[in-house]
Amino acid sequence: MAQNISPEQSGAGGGGTKHSDDSMPVKDNHAVSKRLHKELMNLMMANERDISAFPDGENIFKWVGTIAGPRNTVYSGQTYRLSLDFPNSYPYAAPVVKFLTSCFHPNVDLQGAICLDILKDKWSALYDVRTILLSIQSLLGEPNNESPLNAQAAMMWNDQKEYKKYLDAFYEKHKDT
Amino acid sequence: MTSLDPAPNKTWELSLYELQRKPQEVITDSTEIAVSPRSLHSELMCPICLDMLKKTMTTKECLHRFCSDCIVTALRSGNKECPTCRKKLVSKRSLRADPNFDLLISKIYPSREEYEAIQEKVMAKFNQTQSQQALVNSINEGIKLQSQNRPQRFRTKGGGGGGGGGGGNGNGAANVAAPPAPRAPTAVGRNASNQLHVHDTASNDSNSNTNSIDRENRDPGHSGTSAASAITSASNAAPSSSANSGASTSATRMQVDDASNPPSMRSTPSPVPSNSSSSKPKRAMSVLTSERSEESESDSQMDCRTEGDSNIDTEGEGNGELGINDEIELVFKPHPTEMSADNQLIRALKENCVRYIKTTANATVDHLSKYLAMRLTLDLGADLPEACRVLNFCIYVAPQPQQLVILNGNQTLHQVNDKFWKVNKPMEMYYSWKKT
Repeated sequence: MAQNISPEQSGAGGGGTKHSDDSMPVKDNHAVSKRLHKELMNLMMANERDISAFPDGENIFKWVGTIAGPRNTVYSGQTYRLSLDFPNSYPYAAPVVKFLTSCFHPNVDLQGAICLDILKDKWSALYDVRTILLSIQSLLGEPNNESPLNAQAAMMWNDQKEYKKYLDAFYEKHKDT
Repeated sequence: MTSLDPAPNKTWELSLYELQRKPQEVITDSTEIAVSPRSLHSELMCPICLDMLKKTMTTKECLHRFCSDCIVTALRSGNKECPTCRKKLVSKRSLRADPNFDLLISKIYPSREEYEAIQEKVMAKFNQTQSQQALVNSINEGIKLQSQNRPQRFRTKGGGGGGGGGGGNGNGAANVAAPPAPRAPTAVGRNASNQLHVHDTASNDSNSNTNSIDRENRDPGHSGTSAASAITSASNAAPSSSANSGASTSATRMQVDDASNPPSMRSTPSPVPSNSSSSKPKRAMSVLTSERSEESESDSQMDCRTEGDSNIDTEGEGNGELGINDEIELVFKPHPTEMSADNQLIRALKENCVRYIKTTANATVDHLSKYLAMRLTLDLGADLPEACRVLNFCIYVAPQPQQLVILNGNQTLHQVNDKFWKVNKPMEMYYSWKKT
């Protein structure tokens, strides 16, 4: 069966490729914004407690999300704002996600960049805003200390009591900024 | 994340679950099983584009389904693995077409084009609530319609005495006396001088527009100016003696002093001010109304699409959108029995008695009846029968056909909508005299 189907499929695919390369921006943008609109609708229906996200102004390709610090971790009680920038190739490529709120964490640098495999090479077209934010939320409580962006945080992580103390001081300091 | 075997084992081993499970019995009798549209949707949906599967392709090993276009693009642009479970997908040869599934979908949704057209429209509408371009279009559209209707209306004579009524508002409505404008101040003076102020200058209008744009777009700086300029340019084109009047009639706004957060009302005597319809011929209002009274009450949500552009509903997604843009659309009709055709006011209004209104959801029923009183006075001018000078209205909503519920004045339209009008189309409300 596959033998029979394949040529036709690849033919169609090949034709499509050539065509869509010509009219890539328009056609793709429409599909991308369509998917983002669907995500937005789903997200608003879903009523998630710990995460939220909404387009930032008129541009559907830029969103702002919030996540609550995961309960029973040192981050509990904090709220973080993040920016999500969607490329035209979304969902085949990951959005650029950054912390807007300063976040002291082994896998987040001081500019807010996040080191998370699913936002890089482990990206899959099935991830969406919701799963991204949930992943980042769980990353907060379970950092990957093997590849730290913030070495100081990674070193301190083992002593949770100290870490928490430092964290509170950190947020006290960054409250004004 | 799921770790994957580097070398897929070709001796298809069954998982524990697969070893244990019993095959499901085939249903051969007439047993029917109800499935919710939502759960069905997740089965028929492509997880990449979140749309209904189109030219279904199924992965041969893990049996996950995608649209042909989606999975091909995904394999070309990303890792060579199943987007759902990360099973290795070497090439398109790891996929097979699934015509049976396509058939299944076409069986469940025989009119797929229609479904897609509806989706497109919903999306377009969704876009419009964000797009300022659309807002400008909508304003232009309103101006055009208003200027078409203007010649039919009667003007009251000169604005000499009117200045007091309208000029008293804090906005310094400098040109209240501009030619056609005096209608408003006179009406205000006569009718509701203490409660209502009509902003009748172009500059004021642009201000209040900026406000409503803020609400809709969250992008104040930019859109305000362009919308304002749109008004000016369009009103210049309008066949009217003064540029200001074009804008003022188009966007006559009402403010109520005692309300701390005065809702702005936009009224066009036209089919729901939907922007996408700009190129379509406008149906006469009376036609639309009579159609509605015949069919709309049947209330099957799919019926909506025959009625007008913006009345489209997604499959049961309810009022989700209300929360997004905080605006509410109303069809405002005379009470079928209380305000029958031989009623003086209705006779004077003729087809103008049905109103299409788009306003903020936090406006109250009282606002609405004040607005109505003013609007009708404006439209009728001198033609208003003497007996109708005191305009006091009861407002009703019809949750079911033939069942009119009288509304309390201090309810907001949002509350009314939530309580009585659960379908996602313009809320139908009725007015009648208040018996004193």
